[in-house]
Amino acid sequence: MARLYVEDWSPEYGAPFESDTDSLPSEVIVDTQVETRGAWEPLPGRDDGVRRVAFVDGVQRIEATLTLDDPERGPLPGLCAAYAVGASVWDRDARASTFDHVRVGRLAIFGGGESPSMPAVPGMDYAVESVEGLDVAALRSTLDTRRGRAETDLVRRLAEDDCFVIADGRVDDLGPNDAVGYIKSHHRTYLTGSEARTIGTLRAGERTPMFLIPGKFERYSWYVRLMDIPGGHSWSGIARVEAPAAVGIVRARVLADRTAALLPLAAMPLHLDHRAPQNLVPIAALEKELRRWLGDDGLVRRALRAALNGVPA
Amino acid sequence: MNASKNEGLSGGTSERVGRIVGVGHTSSQEFRVVLDDGAYLAVDDLVVVRTEVPGVGELHTYGVVVESEATYEGAAYESDVHRISEQGLQPAAKVRTAQIAVTRVDPEVWVAADPGQEVYRARGIERDRALYADEMRRPLPVGRGRDGEPVYLDLDFFDGTKGGHMSISGVSGVATKTTFAFFFVRLLAGQPALLGTAAANLRVLVFNVKGEDLLWLDRPSNEFGDDDAAAWRALGVEPTPFALATPGADAPRPRAGVPTVAFWAPPRVHAGGEVLPDVSGRQSGVAPFTWTPREFVDEELLQFVFTDASDARNQIPFVEERVRGQLRRLAVDVLGAPGAIVLREPNDREGGQRAVHSRVNERVIRTLEDVADAIGDFLEPEEGEPDRRWSAGAQLGTVNAFMRRLRAASSEARLGRLIRAGESRRIDRMAATLTVVAIQNLHELAQRFVVGALMRETFREKEETGQRLPLSVLVLDELNKYAPREGQSPLKEMLVDIAQRGRSLGVLMIGAQQSASRVAPDVLENASIRVTGRLDAAESERAEFGWMLPSTRARARLLKPGTMVLGQPAVPVPIVLSFPRVPWATRADEVLADPASDPFRGLVP
Repeated sequence: MARLYVEDWSPEYGAPFESDTDSLPSEVIVDTQVETRGAWEPLPGRDDGVRRVAFVDGVQRIEATLTLDDPERGPLPGLCAAYAVGASVWDRDARASTFDHVRVGRLAIFGGGESPSMPAVPGMDYAVESVEGLDVAALRSTLDTRRGRAETDLVRRLAEDDCFVIADGRVDDLGPNDAVGYIKSHHRTYLTGSEARTIGTLRAGERTPMFLIPGKFERYSWYVRLMDIPGGHSWSGIARVEAPAAVGIVRARVLADRTAALLPLAAMPLHLDHRAPQNLVPIAALEKELRRWLGDDGLVRRALRAALNGVPA
Repeated sequence: MNASKNEGLSGGTSERVGRIVGVGHTSSQEFRVVLDDGAYLAVDDLVVVRTEVPGVGELHTYGVVVESEATYEGAAYESDVHRISEQGLQPAAKVRTAQIAVTRVDPEVWVAADPGQEVYRARGIERDRALYADEMRRPLPVGRGRDGEPVYLDLDFFDGTKGGHMSISGVSGVATKTTFAFFFVRLLAGQPALLGTAAANLRVLVFNVKGEDLLWLDRPSNEFGDDDAAAWRALGVEPTPFALATPGADAPRPRAGVPTVAFWAPPRVHAGGEVLPDVSGRQSGVAPFTWTPREFVDEELLQFVFTDASDARNQIPFVEERVRGQLRRLAVDVLGAPGAIVLREPNDREGGQRAVHSRVNERVIRTLEDVADAIGDFLEPEEGEPDRRWSAGAQLGTVNAFMRRLRAASSEARLGRLIRAGESRRIDRMAATLTVVAIQNLHELAQRFVVGALMRETFREKEETGQRLPLSVLVLDELNKYAPREGQSPLKEMLVDIAQRGRSLGVLMIGAQQSASRVAPDVLENASIRVTGRLDAAESERAEFGWMLPSTRARARLLKPGTMVLGQPAVPVPIVLSFPRVPWATRADEVLADPASDPFRGLVP
């Protein structure tokens, strides 16, 4: 009979990592003429006085590498992981932010299509998932998917609850809501030539005109300057924002104007974070809070070892 | 106390305020409380926690709040506050906590309270336990705690049963030291049931050394309000001024239960033949006091002429002691001159040992100057050496210094006016509960003389009877003047003696001083009850205030008039209390005008 073990050593223990959701096909032709005809000029942001802004983010962590000792198929890989998603909801009238809808999920993911029963671990509820392949990347991508789904669900819930949602990172399926994805790093530029040069001329609180990114989840996108950074290069202090094309160009423009006005308010002061200013203040706080919700990494591992290896905790 | 044990002395029930913080360790000495929304704890509030200890059962941990704190949880940088409070972009939780110093663990198993335990504001019986009031045999309410409930003083530690004396410290100008002393005396006198047999004949002696602030104890104050009256009644005493009972004064018979006061003052200088009290503020109700030469000799008051610390450094005390003995041996009354004496050898007293007729040219001693002259006859003869029976063989320089000081002290402006032959005008300490001796107009030398003479009189009486009751209380302001840390003087010796032995003799001292560090340690250390008003910052850090918690010490710099810190052996932590205004005037301009009285009455002789 197959037995489960927690491996004693793994380089990923407890290290939270961010999966790269901004990977794109190498060749994307964007439509730069959806908002402005002709040459681009920086556009000023406009605060339309939206009352509640929800910043949504998620974190994840590998908690243990498992080995399923199958007498016939040999050792099969597995891992225990945890993710947390939640929101920092900014009530602009009350001038206060609160953490809300924080949810923690735990997964035991196994390769080789196996889904053995997971012994009870006190205080932690692991949902068993299985993937066909045997490589660890496949296991981890399941974690990404689950977390992404939890984030997407939360974005929708908050949007339906009259919040303007700013989700950290790219979210594929935002639905026809007042929700945007906020991308802080730039692996590639979607723009070339004079459009690309417009980015360098943006001042804080201004944005580029919108452009359309085609694909399965068609979306409008634009660049925003969060902060004028003395001595910075033309891309420093720039973030990219996406809105689902499903909201229509008129609504998308409102959202674009809104982000250009609001995001600079949430920009992280340069000296406080190495990802400043793009790592927004509410999102940084939310990440910290979410990691706290994941619980103490050492305690989790100890509990897993006690439950699986039979070693007393 | 009539309340049953179950309800506690102060009644009420305890309500939850939060839970014990589990980040970091709790200990048997201290812990922290994270407060519930809508609850608060202020410094000095009392709390109780119940902890289940394996093998022991339920443990009650009592404590007092020593610091109150608040923070934004989630803020990592100080500038985060702008982002949290200004626009509210950064989420953070406002967390309010309080630090607790443990005062008591019941049963006495010193185990730290559990983290996460519910913390209750101590009320009713729990509050009494936190303050050890449940263990006090005779709890005297002496003020209100921050929660408005009474704070108790264990009378056993004041009246000599288990301890004695009270020491009051505080900066001057805030005027709470003396006020508190009288507030306390008034409470003592107003709680006969508590004080028991001692209350009936409680006698308090106090010296007015500054202004005439203590001469209005029988007059209602115009600052005394209904709130104050209610506060007094909550302490179990009907607030009234003291009733005037100066001998010879025109005063109504005091009501039962109201303590009496008698005012005494030295005679004015240059008042002609009349003996008038040397006070300016009030025209009636003050009796003049003097000693006759007879009393001066019998009570050995000569020693209190030499109270300067520098006197003790040379041989003067030896000479003084010998002279004092000689005076006692030789002094004899003069027929027809009450209070006066002549000096004669015992075998030279025709007509009897008790009183003689004065001879022609014999020096009849009627004043202190006469005393000095009579002594001078022996120590400064016109021819030859000083009489060795009087000089104790001291060197001529010492004898001369003795005479010089004695003569300087004998002038009318100094001690002279206190000693005169005639009818006895001694202070009658039995005339009233409270005897106020107004010595503010006397030279410092004379002030020390009066204080020394009266303290000795009090102490001696007790020594002779050996009875602790009735209690005799001495209220002494500026104790550092009479019992300084450095140097020797007969006054200091006596005060140390009272501090050490007075407790068993029923002579209790209420000493007040600005700087406890400048008072003789022997006197301070014997005070069981310690009270402090606002302290000078440097003073509060001294070892004399080691009985206070660091947080209390820090706050003692900021105390308002009417707020004091009380330390007593029965309670291991200092308790901050406030006391109401007093119903009597503490200054002339506070005296409540009596519409029935003729405003010019005092001006007509």
